[in-house]
Amino acid sequence: MKDLYSKVIIIIFAILLAITLINIGQSAEMVDYKISNYYIRQGVEDTGSINLVTAILFDYRAFDTLGEATVIFIAASIISLLTKRSTSSIVYNNFSPLVYQNISFIVPFLYIFGFYLIFYGHLSPGGGFTGGVVLATIFVLLTITFGVRRTREREVLKIKSLLENIGMAGFIFIGLVGVLLGYNFLANGQAGLYLGEPGKLISAGTIPGLNLMTGIKVGASLSIIFNCLVREVK
Amino acid sequence: MLFVHFVITVLFALGLYTVLNRSNLIKIIMGINIIEASLILLLVCLSYKPEGTAPILNREYEIIVDPVPQALALTAIVIGASTTAVMLFLAIKLYKKYGTLDVGEIRRLRG
Repeated sequence: MKDLYSKVIIIIFAILLAITLINIGQSAEMVDYKISNYYIRQGVEDTGSINLVTAILFDYRAFDTLGEATVIFIAASIISLLTKRSTSSIVYNNFSPLVYQNISFIVPFLYIFGFYLIFYGHLSPGGGFTGGVVLATIFVLLTITFGVRRTREREVLKIKSLLENIGMAGFIFIGLVGVLLGYNFLANGQAGLYLGEPGKLISAGTIPGLNLMTGIKVGASLSIIFNCLVREVK
Repeated sequence: MLFVHFVITVLFALGLYTVLNRSNLIKIIMGINIIEASLILLLVCLSYKPEGTAPILNREYEIIVDPVPQALALTAIVIGASTTAVMLFLAIKLYKKYGTLDVGEIRRLRG
């Protein structure tokens, strides 16, 4: 009975949602693209970054990105606060030597890929968040293949939390440069910072620095979350 | 375009059905993730323009898709990942305390 009741409610809800979505799709000509057209026309000139998504994330709406970084920070804090300080090594299997050799071989390339995504975030698809996730997967791979004990989890965890703090504080300090120059928090182009030639590696003012800080922070936070979840499962 | 809206609706309704009708906590979390996926699909669908290119201006392009919803989609993905981590952690804690993942059982045992 309860099952039928919820099915009916969901079907009615789905029909209403479909009507709304189709209405949105049909009124696409009436949408005001003023802001988006401004970003497309003036974005490269204002920020020096040819990747417009990065320009929006780390220049026009960098304050939003700071809030986003805070959300990950708080999630990692909650999880590591509620975890007991005991280690368990459940995620340890005896793989064949082929697996160990392959993982050892692939790790340097993963580091290069992650840092490439971070440093070229304002030129190509990628950026701090994506690169940070790639860096976090390295620790996940190492922990799953070599076990918790072999990767010296305790000492590495201290380094990771230090890195997380550096990323968070660095983001705010880079933002304060704008205040010191007499402009808004996280000001980039309008504060007269060196924007460089769009399309070159050294360009776009504070955006590469913010990308680097976000990448470090996201990588450290996600691997802290993984470490704590592994420690908790028993 | 109509097909994408249909897929979004079906995904949202499936996720909602899972959240309302399943009693396993892990399946409820999966339902919430399916709803999130449908919302991200909606954001990507809103930014679409016919024959538009990706918003990376390394050359002169005529039509470029709207970059604002893509930035918002990135925000949604990041926040979704961190809330999923917290939800899974709480599921582990509940399992350790009550020995079951069934929501009805947990409500009965709490008593």
